[in-house]
Amino acid sequence: MEIQIKDLNKNYFSEGKTITALSNVNLTIPPNKIFTLLGPSGCGKTTLLRCIVGLEMPDSGEIRIGEEIVWSKDREIFIPPERRGLSMVFQTYAIWPHMDVFDNVAFPLQVRNEPKEEIRKKVEKTLRFVQLEGFENRPATKLSGGQQQRVALARALAPEPKVILFDEPLSNLDAKLREETRKELRSFLSKLKITAVYVTHDRIEALSLSDTIAVMKDGRIMEIGTPKEIYFDSEQQFVVDFVGRTNLIEGTIVSIENDGPRIKTPIGEMACQKQMAPPIGSPVMVSVRPEFITVKIEKEEKGRNTFRGKVESLVFIGEAYEGEMRVGETRLITKIAPTFNLKEGDEVALQIDPKGCTLIRQ
Amino acid sequence: MSRSLSIYGTRRALTPILIVMVGFLTICPVAMLLLGSFSEGLGAFGTFTLEKYIKSYTDPELIDIIVNTLVFIVGSALVATSLALFLAYLNTRSNIPFKFLFQIISIVPMMIPHILFAVSWALLLNPSNGLINLLLKQMFNLEHSPFNIYSLPGMILVEGLLDLPVAYLIIAPAMASFDISLEESSKVCGSSNLRTLRKITLPILRPAILASITLVAIRSLESFAVPSALGMPGRVYLLSTHIYRIIATGFSADYGKAAAVGMSALAASITLIVLYRHLTSEREKYVTISSRGYRPALIDLHGWKVPLFIIVALLCFTLIVLPVLVLLYTSFVPYSMVPSFKAFGMMSLKHWLSILKDPVSLLSLKNSLFLGIVGATLGVILTFFVSYTIVKVRTPASGILESLSFLSFSFPGIVIGVGFMWFFVRTPLYATLGSLLIGYIATYLPYGIRPLTSAFVQIHRDLEESSRVCGGGMFYTLRRIVVPLLIPGIVSAWILMASMFVRELSVSVVLSRPGNEVLAVQILRFAEDGLWGKLSALGILMILASTTLVVLASIVGTRLTKLRGEREGV
Repeated sequence: MEIQIKDLNKNYFSEGKTITALSNVNLTIPPNKIFTLLGPSGCGKTTLLRCIVGLEMPDSGEIRIGEEIVWSKDREIFIPPERRGLSMVFQTYAIWPHMDVFDNVAFPLQVRNEPKEEIRKKVEKTLRFVQLEGFENRPATKLSGGQQQRVALARALAPEPKVILFDEPLSNLDAKLREETRKELRSFLSKLKITAVYVTHDRIEALSLSDTIAVMKDGRIMEIGTPKEIYFDSEQQFVVDFVGRTNLIEGTIVSIENDGPRIKTPIGEMACQKQMAPPIGSPVMVSVRPEFITVKIEKEEKGRNTFRGKVESLVFIGEAYEGEMRVGETRLITKIAPTFNLKEGDEVALQIDPKGCTLIRQ
Repeated sequence: MSRSLSIYGTRRALTPILIVMVGFLTICPVAMLLLGSFSEGLGAFGTFTLEKYIKSYTDPELIDIIVNTLVFIVGSALVATSLALFLAYLNTRSNIPFKFLFQIISIVPMMIPHILFAVSWALLLNPSNGLINLLLKQMFNLEHSPFNIYSLPGMILVEGLLDLPVAYLIIAPAMASFDISLEESSKVCGSSNLRTLRKITLPILRPAILASITLVAIRSLESFAVPSALGMPGRVYLLSTHIYRIIATGFSADYGKAAAVGMSALAASITLIVLYRHLTSEREKYVTISSRGYRPALIDLHGWKVPLFIIVALLCFTLIVLPVLVLLYTSFVPYSMVPSFKAFGMMSLKHWLSILKDPVSLLSLKNSLFLGIVGATLGVILTFFVSYTIVKVRTPASGILESLSFLSFSFPGIVIGVGFMWFFVRTPLYATLGSLLIGYIATYLPYGIRPLTSAFVQIHRDLEESSRVCGGGMFYTLRRIVVPLLIPGIVSAWILMASMFVRELSVSVVLSRPGNEVLAVQILRFAEDGLWGKLSALGILMILASTTLVVLASIVGTRLTKLRGEREGV
């Protein structure tokens, strides 16, 4: 089901101050895809999710789920959460401690007064789907974090909803389990025909899980796109910075060639492919992600976009070295294979892929 | 930052309805007291006069009464707090044996009604035929009784013992939670245990000690059992008994004068509460709670172990066993006599039979049980919704509700009673059980709210919200999620209120009229008339009644807790 959000605004009043949680949010969430709201804490992503589910009331605007208007300020419509027919997985899982696994999962079906035999079948099926068969009579308090997470997912899936909402569901798991669960979740969701709205502040979670990502800041949607578009093509400094590490180099456009603009920067002239560029003479900011900088042990500059520099520092982070290189007064972060033989103070050549240079809108 | 939404009609209406109800319960008696103090009398309400203030505050006796009250509250606060410090230190920091006794000291005395505790001391130490006095006179051929419990020191001792559990419950956690390394560093510097205690431990505990002193002072200011059972026979009057004397003795009850005197009791209690709030909010600055989980090394008491343990055991005995024992003994002997073969030979069921035949005593038992059961049930229902609103709705309006519901905390019961008297006399509720019911719930509302709010706080918002998202409406969610999770809190609130109501004295002495007598008032009447045997028999019945309610409620609570784990309908 498609979710349409129009001109949504929401302010909080706390200790005499007004805090803007949502500011003119317009959004269409496509059906049967995984849609992620990504942003730092306090950006309004959880508020937006809670508005969709009905636990929070916006100040103005309209929310439409499928054909149904669930909230409209102008038409004075508010459908309470229990009548929106959505499912949600909470950050804390919200597993009811006084019930066993069966009752937790059966709850949404019991609310709907479905026949008992039907409930039993559906719960069984759902538990099998999340790989928890045989856990029916386990008290909810006797579950590990990962199992609780699956029970929460099973409870959300049991009523076979058209839309399922996730509020940072993996943030309470430890790093390794989080990675496994992320993959599982991806495969669970892609098997089902279901619209998933996923809230997270973790960029890796967002990039690896989503079909579409909306990056939020200060209650606004900054950019919407596929993970690749967001990661590689964003022209906004905040988005570029938030979804991954990057080097930002100031410069001025000096010419525009067939394959893209040339930019004069403190490290030399850089070629930038693929972009629509502002006119010659405009000041710009170039973003280069570390993985687009190739480090070579060569004294001589060779080819386009190659600059001479020096190894300033090297930090071993396991799967790679994180190297800080100095070109003139500019420092660039690079990623170097751990087998590469380098030490601090070495002279190096840095080759920057023109395809990896993005111009930041200023 | 984010608030729960309160759009639904029911939920939106809940807060104002509760504000009106709680506002009535807490503001009404105070407002009526104020109005009443400026009125001619119950019959001539509303005609403004300062006469009652002039009359009561030019009374030459008042100075003595105020001095007595001050000595009484300060004295009992010091007695209770120093005993609590002594016990808490021994329990948390020394290797004294049988530590479970401390658990008993801190809880069990709360179950013995104050009026009975006070009376049992009168039975032991009254100057004419107190058992201990009789015994000492026999042994040493004395002409006069060596002890007189009907005196200010006697009252202070008994009130101090009664409030010991309250003081202990404040001091012990503070003692247990402060960072032991502060003490250890003092010892490394060369201080002895005693010097460390004096120079480090006590100063760090100062906020807890002050809070305990203030709270016990509040409790003894509102205390009516000890001043009435021990003070009045010796003509030692305090503010509370002075008010009682104005309305209950003499030819005509003067409710205007009672209200005028009540205003200063109210002012004193509000001052103390403000002080207490201030002290408890300051506390966090001082007490350094260490998150490291190791237990401090216990101080070895060596040769002091046995004598100190004997003191603790003796305290335990006097607090719990002795009162019940004395009452039981007195209920069987024909008149006060020292336990002897002769006394045991003369034991009979005389007093018990006369109690069981006495229609007023039976009525009071019935009334108190009714008030306990119905009052606690209604009280829990009200406090359930109030606590829900305070903890879960969290709007400015629910903040008002919170302040309102804690307003009545420790207002002296007799003052609340006088205030309600001015109100009820104008309604058909006058002299009915209904008036007592309302008075009780108003006075003891915070006792129900406290366990329930702390239970509500433990229920994460998500547990409720996930039920809503799953399709459960507000009442469905209450029934299947909130109430089952709250059962322990609900049960303890019910037990607390029911046992308070069965023994209630200070509100009842004002509001209880012929026809709606209650147990504690009937016991006070027996005490005033010196009918110790009947009093003891009725007192034992009172303890039985309140214990039965507590036990039944705990059983129901455990059953429900077990049941809720089982699957609904499958």
